[in-house]
Amino acid sequence: MNLSEKLYQRAGLIFPILATGGALAAASFIDPYLAYVATSWVIFGLLGLSLDLVWGRGGLLSLGQTAFYGLGGYFGSIVAINMAPLTGNTLLWSLPAGAAFGATSAAALGAIIFLARMGPLQATILSYTFTLLLWSLTQSFTATVGQAVVGGDNGLSNIPGVVVGFGQGAEALGPVEVFVTVVIVSAATYFLCWWLMRGTFGRVIDCIRIDAQKAELLGYDIRKYQIANFSLAGAIAGLAGAMFAGWANYLNPSIFSVQEALLVPIYVLVGGLGTLAGAFVGAFAIGGLSFYLGGGAVGGQTTLILGIVLILLVLFLKNGLVGAMGELWRRTLPDPNAAARDAGAVSIDPEVLEGILVEAAQQAGPAKRLATVDLYKRFGGVIPVNKISRTFEPGRPYSLIGPNGAGKSSYLKACVGIYMPEAGSVTVGQTDATNAPIFERVHQGVGVKNQKPQIFGELTVVENLSIAAYARTGDKPAAAGISRQILAMLGFERQAKVQASALSHGQQQWLDIGMVLCLAPRVVLLDEPAAGMTNEETRELSALVRTLARHTTVIVVEHDMEFVRTLEGHVTVLHQGQVFAEGDIAALRADDRVLDIYLGRREHV
Amino acid sequence: MELDYLATVLLSSLSSASILLIATIGLAVVFGLMGVINLAHGEFLMIGAYAALTATQYGIPFVIAIPIAIAVTMTIGAVVEVLIIRRLYGRLFDTMLATWGLSIAFYQLAVLIFGTVTPGIGMPQFNLRIGNYSLAGYPLLMIAVAAVATVFVYVLMTRTVYGMKARAAIQMPEMARAIGIESARVNTLTFAIGCGLAGFAGAVLLPIVPATPSMGFAFVIKAFLTVVVAGPVTLTGSALTAVGLGGGASVTASFLTSVAGDAFFFLITAFLLWLYPLGITAKWRTKM
Amino acid sequence: MTLPRRFSFSETAPRISNLGSWARLLRAGALTLAGTLCLAGGPVQADGGIKIGSIFDLTGGLNIYGIQQNNALKLAVDALNAKGGVLGKPIEVVSYDAQSELSKYTQYANTVILRDRVSALFAGLTSSSREAIRPIVRKANIPYFYGSLYEGGACDKQTFVTGPSASQQLSVLIDWAVKKYGKRIYIMAPDYNFGTISAHWVKDYAKKAGAEVVGEDFLALTVTDYAPTIQKIQSVKPDFVVALPVGANQTGFLEQFAAAGLKDKIGVVSTNYGSGNQQVVVSPAAGKGLIADQGYFQVVDGPANTEFVKLWSAKYGSDTPIISEAVDIWNAVHLWAAAVDKAGTVQAAPVIAALESGLSFDAPNGTVTLEPKSHHLRQNIYIVEGDDRHGFKVVETFKDVAPSYENEKCDLKANPTLAQHFAPDGK
Repeated sequence: MNLSEKLYQRAGLIFPILATGGALAAASFIDPYLAYVATSWVIFGLLGLSLDLVWGRGGLLSLGQTAFYGLGGYFGSIVAINMAPLTGNTLLWSLPAGAAFGATSAAALGAIIFLARMGPLQATILSYTFTLLLWSLTQSFTATVGQAVVGGDNGLSNIPGVVVGFGQGAEALGPVEVFVTVVIVSAATYFLCWWLMRGTFGRVIDCIRIDAQKAELLGYDIRKYQIANFSLAGAIAGLAGAMFAGWANYLNPSIFSVQEALLVPIYVLVGGLGTLAGAFVGAFAIGGLSFYLGGGAVGGQTTLILGIVLILLVLFLKNGLVGAMGELWRRTLPDPNAAARDAGAVSIDPEVLEGILVEAAQQAGPAKRLATVDLYKRFGGVIPVNKISRTFEPGRPYSLIGPNGAGKSSYLKACVGIYMPEAGSVTVGQTDATNAPIFERVHQGVGVKNQKPQIFGELTVVENLSIAAYARTGDKPAAAGISRQILAMLGFERQAKVQASALSHGQQQWLDIGMVLCLAPRVVLLDEPAAGMTNEETRELSALVRTLARHTTVIVVEHDMEFVRTLEGHVTVLHQGQVFAEGDIAALRADDRVLDIYLGRREHV
Repeated sequence: MELDYLATVLLSSLSSASILLIATIGLAVVFGLMGVINLAHGEFLMIGAYAALTATQYGIPFVIAIPIAIAVTMTIGAVVEVLIIRRLYGRLFDTMLATWGLSIAFYQLAVLIFGTVTPGIGMPQFNLRIGNYSLAGYPLLMIAVAAVATVFVYVLMTRTVYGMKARAAIQMPEMARAIGIESARVNTLTFAIGCGLAGFAGAVLLPIVPATPSMGFAFVIKAFLTVVVAGPVTLTGSALTAVGLGGGASVTASFLTSVAGDAFFFLITAFLLWLYPLGITAKWRTKM
Repeated sequence: MTLPRRFSFSETAPRISNLGSWARLLRAGALTLAGTLCLAGGPVQADGGIKIGSIFDLTGGLNIYGIQQNNALKLAVDALNAKGGVLGKPIEVVSYDAQSELSKYTQYANTVILRDRVSALFAGLTSSSREAIRPIVRKANIPYFYGSLYEGGACDKQTFVTGPSASQQLSVLIDWAVKKYGKRIYIMAPDYNFGTISAHWVKDYAKKAGAEVVGEDFLALTVTDYAPTIQKIQSVKPDFVVALPVGANQTGFLEQFAAAGLKDKIGVVSTNYGSGNQQVVVSPAAGKGLIADQGYFQVVDGPANTEFVKLWSAKYGSDTPIISEAVDIWNAVHLWAAAVDKAGTVQAAPVIAALESGLSFDAPNGTVTLEPKSHHLRQNIYIVEGDDRHGFKVVETFKDVAPSYENEKCDLKANPTLAQHFAPDGK
């Protein structure tokens, strides 16, 4: 790996360190007014960072960040006004109080959004509504809390400036010192976020953004992660708000206004969505531009120019400033996904698989049965699952076949929890799982592979496997061990660092199966696993399913009758949401009624 | 509570809801058929209002000024689609950002061209008496206008070739292309129609909301909330949410305070989103 | 990073005027270009002048006011410079556009103080912008002039208010209206400090006049639906309504009120109607007969106003009537200049002392006097009636109305460290 590549890998750490160092060095010679104004850009950048966490990484465009920012500012200032006289130091009070209040209010709003599993646009709009409601209500809200007077639209005045010294004589810092303080606090926050988002927490958040359903199918309670991330962002916004209040010495409901709320996503987009550091770049770019224009450079046409610049930025800089620079840089580097082309056909050594499965059984316990009793699901007038009662035991694979629309996939989805049944029950092992959310079923031992390969394309192959293994073990070294094993079994060692999206379709199917194996499932449900595979691959898959069935309960939904035949298992024919026939494949092939439903004939039915 | 007061409240709340619906309908079309959130919708409303106002200043009767406003906003809408929106399909948030930039630029252009204040045309001086109360007539007329506009758009989208093409282009773009629908042209027309409807709203509401550069802003927030709460069946859904939210807020304001009316609007929006995380029409099977 | 220095306004710099046609748009474009070239050519700034700062909303939703405030400031500076400036030196203006965004006020207020080192600051329209600026000028100790009508009560050593306060306007208006219309009053006001505090004064003065407030409705700032208010008004049958609509959108209330046929039965009086040129927007049918009262209207009589309007029209045209906030700024600049001349220096302490010496100025709106203790302006209050040509006619002039509430609460001579925002109890 050459220097440029190494640098690129660590750009999120190195450049911010340089920028922080540069800012601190610049503080020694810049004009106080510039330090003063730049301080506000750093604070806006921090606010942008809080949005990038929930939007760029978490996938939800929150227009509520200014609400947490304002609430954190108000609350932090009220605490500081009353408590700072005791210590002299103001940050000691305002920053923790602001962050805590921001986090609490974000957690409350996040709980509503994520527990209700809102759609992305609806979640955006709800967060926006929250901000607007605050704006509307604070206009005339007056209260006196100790020494602090919240005066409706006239705002909260006499907020103490930034004081870092202690005792009675401690003085508020000058503009340059405030700049230095804010840069240090913001840099510390940035590096904390960078570290968090680089670790397992960040990986899981990334996975939820890329494919929330898959993340839950791995056993992650995604709502907890989403709420935690949202609260973290709320804390950062609250922190930024508390610093803003100390900077302006004044707060007013306009902090909750529509314009303020819309500026934050603009900082993030201009800087580069999902880059974390981009938020600061965007805030400096937009803040600097509008400050410069407002100084008279365009004879009072500030917003006209600003609007046009925004449109041009969106049209010609797709990934924002940081994203576009990163893209240009990446083009000069060797393609990290080159190894994807070398991957050969997957060939699985049955003994290695056997070993993995035995080990999994030691860790996760014996195979479990899956049973449904009168399981029933309807969509409007269609009843894809009509009172199906079946019990699946370990030993040999079960196949579910039937013509299109027979309800095979729907039945599988109802067993997994993707669809919630209206009646009947689902039991995993001895536990009733009828109303359990997906991730709880996964914890009970259900492993699912859906028809399309569900992999996290932006993550590397090994990250895909280890995130799956971590979901079960909750332990990084153990997860690394398991993912290495599976990686070796699939023969993907040389592709470990390749982005999963660079793999071919068939390889992605194998990777997905590998992720399911990482979960050490006790019941495995496979929805058309052979779809899109070559004959060779289908044979490998058939062998894998048979081996798997000796150690776990396996249910396969399949169209391909030849594949079903090679499984040598028990076959159930579904028709119109009901069990139509069952037995072994030879008997069913001889059954004219089964042929009829496949061919759409009515002769024998 | 006297009966005449109650009747007045109900009638005027219906008219408030209708005004909201008129302001929303163009947004609903663009969002429903193109998946584009047009943050400059309010400014198109403003352009429509200024176009109609300028036309009347040249002595053109108000009734004829309305189609002029529609033509002007449709033209500008088509240009905007070709220059900006088309390049950003599938990038929902980039489109939001670009249209936001457009909205502040349009605002400033309006100030440059028309100044900050322009004489309004005023409201036709007729009213309706109910018992001890009298109601301005023109806002009541908006109930009929909203109904006609909704039916017009519904028929346009479900009964005309264009409407079918437009819905095909958004629901199955590849299939639509395969059978020879030029989705780019259809989309340009759809966006222009959405803007034209905004222009219509600006013109027809001109007697109620005088033309000022910032007039769009007053409507646009509630219009967005209305469309988003409506969910995928945008037109029918928006009509329902406009009546429910706008009418409900107006009734609340009548019996309590204006701020309570506003709070009602936002809180019910939040509540509906909680009940129907994907919009109230998420499970409907109708298409418009 | 360093920012290029912005050029300051001078005779050659672009002007923001009330542009009303495409021709003017083109001219603005040309001027913009000229401004950019100007910028490329480096700062155009003479040495030895006296610098003052201005921060107004030249763009964004509040520029209805901000543009005229800024125009008035430049007009006043030009007028003073034509007579030799102050202390024999020309006045230079450093001008910023706050873009109707509050945090910009904080940024630019610090910039004019820390970088431009201005001798005085003229800035702000909304109460929140004033409140954002006050702590900054207090710390920097430079005189700050706020030129807009407002709810009243702002009080500290550096702040000087040249617009009338709510109690100043209402003290004469309510009495007058009770005599004209009757004793039953309804209040329709925006739901924030200006509205709630004004409502307090209405009640206060109503009691003194033996009248009663029979109903009140506080409107959210975003409201566009006035039907509920109009019904409430009809249900209590007041003799007159005190309507305090904020912003051009709220003129919809007046249209709807008139169209419902209520205007001829119920009087409408206002302390802020006209301050944003609402009379231009409102149709003659709705605007005729409305009563407004402020410290200035373009129609007020007097040689000073004739001269002022002539100057203004020559520079900015006469398309848009001059609003009271513009005159407040004009007065502020002249009072400041008079104080500097009197003090013989631009140092803050002597200038503030001179400002506290009971300065008077022959203003377009009659003679105004700066109250030494409260830093508010004793000025004429004009009651006008809307006509059917988007204009006003003066119906009554109250001479030398004192800002009595501010005078009572705020004594900065006795207590120079006061830094307060007084509001009547419970508000």
